Amino acid sequence: MTQVAFNSFLVAMLSVPMVTLISRRWTKARALPPVLLMGSLAVGVAVAAVGFWGGQRVTVDVSQVASFSFALSVDRLSAFFLLLICSVALPVVLFSSSYIPRHYAGARRHWLWALLPLFLLSMVLVVTASTAFAFLFGWELMTLFSASLILIDGDSEQRRHSIFIYLLMMHAGAAAVIGAFLLFLPHSSDFAQMRASATLMPPPLRTAVFLLAFVGFGTKAGIVPLHLWLPRAHPIAPSPVSALMSGIMLKTAIYGFVRFAFDFLGGGPSWWGYLVLLTGCVSGLLGVLYAISEHDLKRLLAYHSVENIGIIYLGLGSALVFTANHASIWAAAALTAALLHCLNHAIFKSLLFLGAGAISDAAHTLDLEELGGLQKRMRLTGAAFLIACCSIVGLPLFNGFVSECLTFRSFLAASEMTSLSAAIVLPLAAGVLALIGGLAAACFAKVYGVAFLGRPRSREAGSANEVSLPMQAGMGVLATACVVIGIFPGLVLRGLGTLTEELLPGAALPPAAASLSGVLPWIALFVLVLVAGIAAFKRAKKLTATWACGLPGLDQRMQYTSTAFSKPLRRVFSQVYKADRTLDVLPADQPYFPASISYRSVRTTSFEKSLYRPGVDAIVTAANRLRQLQTGNIQIYLLYIFAALIALLMFMRWA
Amino acid sequence: MTLAMNALQVLLLILLAPLVRGVIARLKARIQNRQGARVWRPYADLLKLFRKEDLVPASASFVFRLAPIVLFTSTLVVAAFVPLLHGSALLGVTGDFVLLVYLLALGRFFLMLGAMDGGSSFGGMGASREALVSTLAEAPFLLALMSVAIAARTGSIAGMVQWTVGQSFFQFSAVHALAFVALALVAIAETGRIPVDNPTTHLELTMIHEAMVLEYSGPSLALIEWASAIKLTMVMALLIALFVPWGMASSLSALALAVASLVLLLKIAALVLALALVESSVAKLRMYLVPDFLGVASALAILAVVFTALMR
Repeated sequence: MTQVAFNSFLVAMLSVPMVTLISRRWTKARALPPVLLMGSLAVGVAVAAVGFWGGQRVTVDVSQVASFSFALSVDRLSAFFLLLICSVALPVVLFSSSYIPRHYAGARRHWLWALLPLFLLSMVLVVTASTAFAFLFGWELMTLFSASLILIDGDSEQRRHSIFIYLLMMHAGAAAVIGAFLLFLPHSSDFAQMRASATLMPPPLRTAVFLLAFVGFGTKAGIVPLHLWLPRAHPIAPSPVSALMSGIMLKTAIYGFVRFAFDFLGGGPSWWGYLVLLTGCVSGLLGVLYAISEHDLKRLLAYHSVENIGIIYLGLGSALVFTANHASIWAAAALTAALLHCLNHAIFKSLLFLGAGAISDAAHTLDLEELGGLQKRMRLTGAAFLIACCSIVGLPLFNGFVSECLTFRSFLAASEMTSLSAAIVLPLAAGVLALIGGLAAACFAKVYGVAFLGRPRSREAGSANEVSLPMQAGMGVLATACVVIGIFPGLVLRGLGTLTEELLPGAALPPAAASLSGVLPWIALFVLVLVAGIAAFKRAKKLTATWACGLPGLDQRMQYTSTAFSKPLRRVFSQVYKADRTLDVLPADQPYFPASISYRSVRTTSFEKSLYRPGVDAIVTAANRLRQLQTGNIQIYLLYIFAALIALLMFMRWA
Repeated sequence: MTLAMNALQVLLLILLAPLVRGVIARLKARIQNRQGARVWRPYADLLKLFRKEDLVPASASFVFRLAPIVLFTSTLVVAAFVPLLHGSALLGVTGDFVLLVYLLALGRFFLMLGAMDGGSSFGGMGASREALVSTLAEAPFLLALMSVAIAARTGSIAGMVQWTVGQSFFQFSAVHALAFVALALVAIAETGRIPVDNPTTHLELTMIHEAMVLEYSGPSLALIEWASAIKLTMVMALLIALFVPWGMASSLSALALAVASLVLLLKIAALVLALALVESSVAKLRMYLVPDFLGVASALAILAVVFTALMR
C-alpha cells in the first residue's frame, strides 16, 4: 500500500510539468498544475508519515532495468526529511497558486509551474536516494533547477553575477561531496554497503570522508565562511522559491551531513564535534549580526538562515562530542534537537519568506524603511508573521523554543562527562546560543516593529490591502504548525526519539525531553486562560493621538527607522561590520556653509574580502599569465604544434 | 497540600511586589534627605490606573493592547518557577531555568513591539535600547544559572535550591561567588535599575524602560507597572533562593512556614536596603558603557562555568 503510494507520488510529481506544458493554451486548466502538485504532495506527506512514525520502509529499485545503480529507499531518516519537504512545500504551493498567477504571466508562469515540481522532486530524490549515483543525480539537479527558478525573475547583469557565484560555489561543494563518495570505493554503489565498509576504514580515511562531507554539505547549508552565495541567491528568487530554498533546500545538506557523519561513519574523534561546534557558533553569530544591519527583508531573512543553520550545527556538533565520549543518551538528545530545529526552521522560515512575498504583493517593496503600519491593513498576514517571528526568536510556546531548549539541555549534560574539554566547551556554547537568541530577538523586534507596527512610511505601505485567500491560507497553515509544535512537541519528539535510536545504537531519548513536552501544554493553558481573562476584564479603549511632547504635527518620518533601531547594536559590534564611510562636503573650502553634503556608508564584510580576495586574485593573475600563450598569431600556434610534436617524438623514443 | 502551598507562594509574590517597590522608593527618599511617599503608594497607583480608561494611539494595532497582557502573564508564569518559602515551586521541570530566561524574553519582546506600535520616536528609541541591553544580558544570565545548575548537578531551579540548602555557608565555592555577582549585575540590567536604567527619570532622552511605556496609560500601564514590580521581587527572590536559601521551611508546618516567611522578609529587606544605597550613591551609566557593565557580568559567568569543570 505504502509502496504503491510512494510510486504514484513520484509519478504524479513527474507528471505535473508535462500537464503544465500540455495544458498551457487551455485557460480553463489554469488551476490544474497547483492542484495536481498539492495532491501529489499530500500523498508524499502520507507516505512520509507512515515511514517516520510507523517505520515502514519503501524502496524503488531501477538498477535491474537500467545499466546504472539507481535506487530509492525510505528509511526513518529519509522519511523524516521527506515529511519535512512535502509538508512544508504543501502550504507553499497553496500560497503560490495565487501568488504566481498574480505576478507572472505567459511563458514565465508555465515555466514556474513546470520547474517547481521538478525542483521539489530533485530534493525528494536527494533525501530518498539509497545509491551514490541517485544521490548525486538529485544533488546536481537541485542546484540546476533552483538556479533556473531564480533566472525566471529576470537576468540582469547583477542577477547573473549572483547566480554565477551560486553555481560556482555549489559545484565546488558538489565536488567535495563526490570526493566523499569516491573515498568509499570499491563499495560506493549503495548506502548499505557504504555503511558496512565504513567500519573497516582506517582512521585517516574516515577523517578524509568526514572533512569532505563537512565542506561539501557545509557549502550547501551555508555555513560561514562558505555562505557567500546564500545572501546573494535567496533574495533574488521569487518569494515562494526563496521559501523552498531557505526552508527546505538547506535541510537536504543537513540530511547529507547526518547521513555521512552519523549513519555511515557513526561519529568519530571528538575534534570532529568541536569543529562542527565552532562552525555553528561562528555561523550563528555572524549570520544574526549581518541580519541586524540589513534593511532589505529578504536579504535579512537569508542571513537568518545562516544563523539557524549555525544553531542546527551547534546541536550536531554537541551530538558528535557526546558520541565520541560514549554518552549516547545525550548524543540522542542533541541530535534530536538538531533535527527538530531543521523541521522548525523549515516551517517558520518558509512562513517568513511567504510573508515577505505577501508584503511585496501588497506594498510593492521589501525595503523596511518604506514599510510600517501593515498590521492594521493585513491582519492575518501580520498575525502569521508575528507567530513566525516569535518562533524564530525561540520564545516559549512557539516551535523554535523546543529545539533550542533541548540543545541547551544537552549542553548542560556535558558537565557530567569525564572529558574536561567537553565539560568546559559545551556549557560555554550555551552562552553563545543565548547571545544568538538575544540578537535574533532584537532583529525580529526590528523587523516586525518597523514593517507591521506604527505608521506607514510610504504611500504604498499606507494603501496596502490584505492578500488573497489562498495566500492567507498557506501562511495560516504554517503559522498553526509553529504553535502546535511549540505547545505539543511530543508529537514530533517521539518519532525523532525512535529515529535517533536507530542512528545511534544504544541511545534513548532522555526523560528531560519528555518533561519539557509535559509542562508546555500546561503553561500554554495557563497563559491562554490568563490572557483571555485579562482581555475580557479590560474595558473600552479610547482612541487618542500619539504623544508628541505637546506639539502638533507628528508624522511618520519621526518614527524610529530600521537603521536607527539597529544602531546601538551595530555600534557595539562595530568590529564585525567595518563600514566604509565617505563624507563629501561641497565646496570643500566652506565646511560651515556647504552647498551639498553627501554621505555614503557601505557595510563591508572584511573577512569575506580577506578570505576570498587572495584566492580570486591568484586565479585571475594565473589566467592573465596563461593568456600570454594565446597571442592570436598563427605562426606562434604552428610553433606550439611543432614543439608538441617534437616533445611527443622524444617521449616515444625514450619511454 | 504542597500544591496549594506553592500556589500561595506565587500569590504572595504577586501581592507583595508593589510593596517592595514602595519600600525602595521610601528608603531612597530618606537616604536622599527627602520625606518620600508612603510605602503603600504603588498599590494606590495601581488601583487608580485600573480605574482609568485605556488611551490607545489611533495608529496602533492589536499588538499595542496585547503587549502588556503578554508581559504580565509571562512574568506571572516565571514567578511560579521560583521557590520562596520552601524548596519547591509551583512549576518545576528539568531545564526550567532556560524556560525562565526565555519567558522573560517573551514578555520583553512583546513590550518592545508594543512600544514601537505607538508610532512616536520615543517608543522606538526605548525598544532599540532595551534590545541592546537585553541582548547582552541574556548570555550571562543563562551562563550564571547554568554554572549553579552544574554545581548542584540538577537541571531545575527547585533542585538547585534544595542542593544549596543542604550545603553549609562555608562550603561555598568560587563558582557561587562568581555566579552571584554575575547574576546580581544581570538582575540590575534585567529590572532596569540604576546604573543601567533609571526607573524614575523624567528625561525622555535617557530613558529605556520608561520610553517604551511612554504611550501607555490606564489598565495597560497598570499591568506593565505591576509586571515590572513582580519581576523585581522575583529576581530578588531568585537570588535569595539560589545563593542564601537557608531558613527555608523544611516541612510544611505552620511554625516552619512562619519562620521561613519572616526570614524571607528579612532577606528581601536587606536586598532592598542594598539596592536603595546603590541607587542613591551611583550615577546612571552612559548608554554605551552598559555593554562594558554587562561584559563584566559575562566574563564572571564564563569564569563560573569554567570553574565548575575545573573544581570537580
